[in-house]
Amino acid sequence: MTPALRWAALVAALLAYPFVDRALGLQTVHAVSDGMIYVLLALGLNIVVGYAGLLDLGYAAFFAIGAYAMGLLNSPVLGSPLYGYPWSFWVCIWIAAAVSALLGTAIGAPTLRVRGDYLAIITLGFGEIIPVAIRNLGDITLDIGGWRPIERLNLTGGENGVNPIGRPHLPGVPFETDPVPWYFLILVIGALSIWAMTRLHDSRLGRAWMAIREDETAADCTGVNPISTKLLAFALGASFSGFAGSVYAAKLQAITPGAFEFQVSIMLLCMVVLGGAGSIKGVILGGMLITIFDRVALAQMTFFVRWVGRATGVQALAAADVTLWRWFFFGLGLVLVMLLKPEGLAGRRVRPIAPADDDLDSPRIEEAPRRAAALPAWLLDQARRGAAPDPILEVRGLARRFGGVVALADVDLVVPRGAVIGLIGPNGAGKTTFFNVVTGLIPPDEGRIAFAGASIVGLRPNAIVARGIARTFQSIRLFPQMTVLENVLVGEHCRLRASVPGAVLRPASVVAEEARARERARELLAFIGLDGKAQDLARNLPYGDQRRLEIARALASEPRLLLLDEPTAGMNPRETENLTTLIGSLRRELELAILLIEHDMEVVMGISDRITVLDYGVRIAEGTPAEIQRHSKVIEAYLGTGYEREPHA
Amino acid sequence: MNAWEVLVQQTINGLTRGAVFALIALGYTMVYGIIELINFAHGDVFMLGLFISLSWFTLLGVTKTLTGWQLLTILPLVFILTMLTTAALNVAIDRVAYRPLRRSTRLAPLITAIGVSFMLENLALLWKGPAPIAYPDVFPSVDILREWFGVDSAIFVTTKDVLVVGATIPLMIALNYFVTRTRWGKAMRATAQDRETAQAMGINVERTILLTFFVGGALAGAAGLIQGIYYNIGMWWMGYQAGLRAFTAAVLGGIGNMPGAALGGLFIGFLSAWSDQYISARWTNAIVFSILILVLVFRPQGLLGARSADKV
Repeated sequence: MTPALRWAALVAALLAYPFVDRALGLQTVHAVSDGMIYVLLALGLNIVVGYAGLLDLGYAAFFAIGAYAMGLLNSPVLGSPLYGYPWSFWVCIWIAAAVSALLGTAIGAPTLRVRGDYLAIITLGFGEIIPVAIRNLGDITLDIGGWRPIERLNLTGGENGVNPIGRPHLPGVPFETDPVPWYFLILVIGALSIWAMTRLHDSRLGRAWMAIREDETAADCTGVNPISTKLLAFALGASFSGFAGSVYAAKLQAITPGAFEFQVSIMLLCMVVLGGAGSIKGVILGGMLITIFDRVALAQMTFFVRWVGRATGVQALAAADVTLWRWFFFGLGLVLVMLLKPEGLAGRRVRPIAPADDDLDSPRIEEAPRRAAALPAWLLDQARRGAAPDPILEVRGLARRFGGVVALADVDLVVPRGAVIGLIGPNGAGKTTFFNVVTGLIPPDEGRIAFAGASIVGLRPNAIVARGIARTFQSIRLFPQMTVLENVLVGEHCRLRASVPGAVLRPASVVAEEARARERARELLAFIGLDGKAQDLARNLPYGDQRRLEIARALASEPRLLLLDEPTAGMNPRETENLTTLIGSLRRELELAILLIEHDMEVVMGISDRITVLDYGVRIAEGTPAEIQRHSKVIEAYLGTGYEREPHA
Repeated sequence: MNAWEVLVQQTINGLTRGAVFALIALGYTMVYGIIELINFAHGDVFMLGLFISLSWFTLLGVTKTLTGWQLLTILPLVFILTMLTTAALNVAIDRVAYRPLRRSTRLAPLITAIGVSFMLENLALLWKGPAPIAYPDVFPSVDILREWFGVDSAIFVTTKDVLVVGATIPLMIALNYFVTRTRWGKAMRATAQDRETAQAMGINVERTILLTFFVGGALAGAAGLIQGIYYNIGMWWMGYQAGLRAFTAAVLGGIGNMPGAALGGLFIGFLSAWSDQYISARWTNAIVFSILILVLVFRPQGLLGARSADKV
């Protein structure tokens, strides 16, 4: 079957289902519609957990907020003075989504400094607080020493919840009596949501989410703002659950705080994990399987077990109720999926990378130098547009201490326009710390850092990338589960402009920008010698290619200063030679300033204009390669004392 | 009761609650310290500790209040049996659900931990039923101030309060001795700091992790037993809440920091007792979780821990 035919069949089946159901008298439309609401919720959670890699254990809180937004605005009976006359469903559903998104942002904002499992616990904490608040806000009395400004105010309906809630009104559509309109309403909302999610996934924002998921620090240093990116994941994930919650409230006609407990968050997480975090198809599959299991299979199993019990005469089985094992099976499901198939039933294999086995057993395939293509024209254009200020980087009196350890003390370093500056020194001299301070990962204790004449102290790493400083890492930090092309596209992130509505609606300007970005990325890959591997996962590249991909990713951000941290580490002589040629051409043709940490003295002496030597955080020498080679302090630092002057007999 | 007596009474209540939280928090903090896992199922091991201790009492034929020599023989015996059972349970959980994921991402074992937590709660529900169960009043409850000292006070201190503190403090002293003075304790601390280096120094890391789960499980079992004796009631869902409060305590003290967990437990105990009294019991959970969130956001190293830098 061709894809088009398959789509047509799917749409036909979805449209025909409620009528087939009615013809056969199955009466399953209600249950299926409810299941679809949970699938929609799971899809929203998938944005947070699957795309952005943030484990959210309190997602039901947003579901609750959506449902209560609908309930409070659209209920005719609620006793609070704030409400009391119903609004239209069609207005409320948007308000509910907006309120959820707003609260997602408000809740997300303070928590985003926290990573990984701590973030998970914070979301869990919010997930606990929201139902508690909803319960207690049904009866508020503020008593200040006998003075009661608020007495028995019912804001949320308390434990009893909100009941009834107004249904949607469309002329001629019987929402009151018939489940079929609900089915189609949810189907339309679901289809629109999936459409929007797919487009978000394949956008600038989608790539940024995945980059954050793969390696937050590297993403930050590639120009992705982790704070706003994560906030958008929370906000958009929450807005989808706002839709789902408001439809749920209107369909059920009643909501109680009990419907939004921790267990609901976990069931939704089960759907995402079982199907495969990050895969829309997987999450739909997981959601359907769990809904069927929960609503159909457990009950049927009870009948079956009882039948077996009666047939065999075992009293315990004959009276068994398998539905009581519900949460046991959910728990078991989570454990088994994580142990046996952590990528889920339909997900792409997302396994942690085994520590690189330095290719001792498997000899690395010697690759011929494949750099054929010239420098991409757009990079040349960028370089020629306006001369860079001179000096491009000026660091004065930089100091950084870690507890009692002085990593950097009063370090000066100047990178003139278009120069290659080597930074050398024994292990632990503070070279990488210097890079980390310049790129904003670590704040300096003292000192000035001026880039292109303006101070960059205190800027976040991604802001520094946007100013024009790009870097590579000593231990390669690519986005391993993204393709080679996507890695380079993340590098372009800070030069692209597509917004969230732009990513979903795709106006001509966004389509053109995206096409141009891909074209540029392909040219860069051709230049660096990785064309033909654009669709490979970065983790599957050989070591030397990974190093070069990291440089391509850095170049994609259109830097005016490139910081390379031991680019030839672990390379064989041929790869080293290639890389040296590459650095030479970057500098010659792009007039790109380069700051280079390198242990290979042949490389560093060969391509550097000037060299700065650090030892124990202190600059001990600065000069041309020839001067450095003769410098007594440098020789002492590398070899120890007693060698600097061989006694001539 | 005047205002001062209320405060003193609630502080005593807080102390006993806090002692239980502290014992549970120690298990969280030890496991986190060594494998950086929030052992979500730990609270449920505590809950099962209560039910298991009840079973041991039943097996030993205890249905009434213990007297005289029984307090010195049966009670310590049940302590030991319960602690051994929950310790074995905790080790089994690690073997089945966490150990295969040691080299996985950090979120993977957290998800399995949640799964295990749900399984344990469901099993307890099936075992004991949905209603709260009565725990026999095995420990004599004597109103100390009135009956021993003849002081007529509104404040109520019983021998049970003394038992809680009297059982918790020796356990903590023993734990502290174990961790700071023994070979195994040293191996534990070394593994917590740097697993690979510890391995290179000849420490059997897997056995050390096993030992950590064993000790943590034993403490949770002791906490369950104490809880049962003190409150005479047990619910299948109590582990989730106690676990979260204890985890809050561990975070408050700086996760990985054992004295911190003990102090954090006491603090959460006082806080929840005061909140029940002075604000409203129905807001206590929200208050405890707000503190958890605030600490994680603004001082993730805890009130006692030291900040550690991210490696780049």
